[in-house]
Amino acid sequence: MMWLTWRQHRAEAIILGVLVAATGVTLLALGLPMHSLFPEGAARCAGLQPGVADACSTAVSRLWEEHGYASKMLSLFNLLPFVIGAFLGAPLLARELESGTWQLAWTQAVPRMRWLAVKVAVLAALTGALAVVLTTFITWYRQPLDALDGRFAADAFDLEGLAPAAYALFAFAAATCAGTLLRRSLPALATALAAYIAVRFVVAGWLRPHYQTPRILTEGVAAGDPTIDVAGRMQTGDHLDWILATGYADSAERHLTLPEVYEMDVAARRDGVDLSAYMHDQGVQQWVEYHPADRFWTFQIIEAAIFVTLAAALLILVALRIKRRTF
Amino acid sequence: MTASDCVLRTDGLGKRYRRTWALRDCTLALPTGRVIALVGPNGAGKSTLLRLTVGLLAPTTGTVEVLGESPTTNTPQVLSRVGFLAQDHPLYRHFTVADLLRFGRSCNLRFDQGLAERRLSQLGIPLDRKAGALSGGQQSQVALALALAKRPDLLVLDEPMASLDPVARLEFLQVLMGAVAADGITVLFSSHVVPELERVCDHLVLLNHSRVTLAGDIETLLTEHRLLVGPRTTTDLDRAGTVVEATHSDRQTTLLVRDGGAPTAPHWQAHPIGLEDLVLAYLRRPAPHGAALPVDVAEVPA
Repeated sequence: MMWLTWRQHRAEAIILGVLVAATGVTLLALGLPMHSLFPEGAARCAGLQPGVADACSTAVSRLWEEHGYASKMLSLFNLLPFVIGAFLGAPLLARELESGTWQLAWTQAVPRMRWLAVKVAVLAALTGALAVVLTTFITWYRQPLDALDGRFAADAFDLEGLAPAAYALFAFAAATCAGTLLRRSLPALATALAAYIAVRFVVAGWLRPHYQTPRILTEGVAAGDPTIDVAGRMQTGDHLDWILATGYADSAERHLTLPEVYEMDVAARRDGVDLSAYMHDQGVQQWVEYHPADRFWTFQIIEAAIFVTLAAALLILVALRIKRRTF
Repeated sequence: MTASDCVLRTDGLGKRYRRTWALRDCTLALPTGRVIALVGPNGAGKSTLLRLTVGLLAPTTGTVEVLGESPTTNTPQVLSRVGFLAQDHPLYRHFTVADLLRFGRSCNLRFDQGLAERRLSQLGIPLDRKAGALSGGQQSQVALALALAKRPDLLVLDEPMASLDPVARLEFLQVLMGAVAADGITVLFSSHVVPELERVCDHLVLLNHSRVTLAGDIETLLTEHRLLVGPRTTTDLDRAGTVVEATHSDRQTTLLVRDGGAPTAPHWQAHPIGLEDLVLAYLRRPAPHGAALPVDVAEVPA
């Protein structure tokens, strides 16, 4: 069975292996000059405002000038876990059903549930392994960026830690399941892609900020504070934290809406005083809602658990469908 | 027939796809050591019955027992005793013939690779060729060699010759019959081409409108049935309930009866019937209404 699994899926396995290797080489080629900007590590320059340390400020500005495309490039990499998982999952059953060979495969002396178990186990393991290798490349590439920006940004959190492997497993399960239901590889790929994008958006946009209760910092606005403007830019003190929202609250701790803040700005201009001074007089507080940077792994585990659970549910669906013998 | 010499036994077997029945009320007992033809028009439920037999499908109603065991258990033991050749002999097209043999070896308890290689080399089929590059006839031979190398007790073939040209058909039958003669395996195969069955089969199962309409030893069936030709008459022909089909020309009435050779009435002549005509007569009968199969109502004038 192991030989059969390899023989049937070696073309996809080799192509995906080459794809991951090529990605690794590309990241290495792009990453080495970026890493060389920070000979003593990017962490030293972290959190410093430009101009504070000359060497750092030069390095950081060169980083944005020469490697500013990194974020855009990396967001494309979000599709790689899908490609890995779906290209192994879609043909698993669809190809057998499409070409009629399921009748050949399931009338040998291997019971079909064992056949399914071996295939799913081997290909899921391969999916996970390829995704982990990919994650390793990206994590290395992003070291300076992570040190400066933190690991909670979309182009970091979604590409590091456990998440990519879990995404790949989900794509694998979704494509396998779609292939079982649709009996064709290509429509299965398309369906799995739609499901992958939809679930990723829902999880990242709606669920992820609520994995744990965000922390809130509040402090009174100091008169003459240069960072005060209508948008609210309160910091947490650790630039690696994931800031969800910032804003102002009145003395009764009620959050102010943006129009209310604009009214204050207009009033401050009318009175000829600085906004910060006006706010200080009004007893306005600024607040920031955030997740501390050290929650990264907790969030990764929760995110991975969601996708692995979904993958398991889809694979159980596949198993039930095959077990029922309704083809 | 006792359980031990029964290769396939079904009882009230039925399979429904959503709302249509592909097979209904199928009760059969097929003997071992025979070459059994399953005949019926397209869509009669032949493939369904065969897939139920090899455990690819699970029955909606009733039971099926192959070599004394239920194929729905799907154990390696049951699977290894039954060889199956599906319609259009599906193969992994990107596998070489050698890969396919290795597939057979790695997925079976007993697999006679030497036997398969000998068969294929006799037929001049190269082992290093991809299955997809072989001709239809060669593909069917590879699929047959795979199924025979399992050394099955029962070989089930679904329309094995439907897609083959006449020469490939003959070759296929020769190989199949050679294996039957050598190993004494029981063969159950479906077909809608009657003439080629006559040469190779000794048992017949007729499937029409999702039901079994006739089953038995071919020789026995042919002696039980006969054609009666007499003066044209349209009244009360089926007193004994033995008339299968009645046809009328201007002056004559021809009756196909299943009466086991009872004495012939005056002015009537009895003729033996060939297998093809017998099959066609049963296939022409319209679909029965209601649950039970009405045996002898078709086309008998009231």
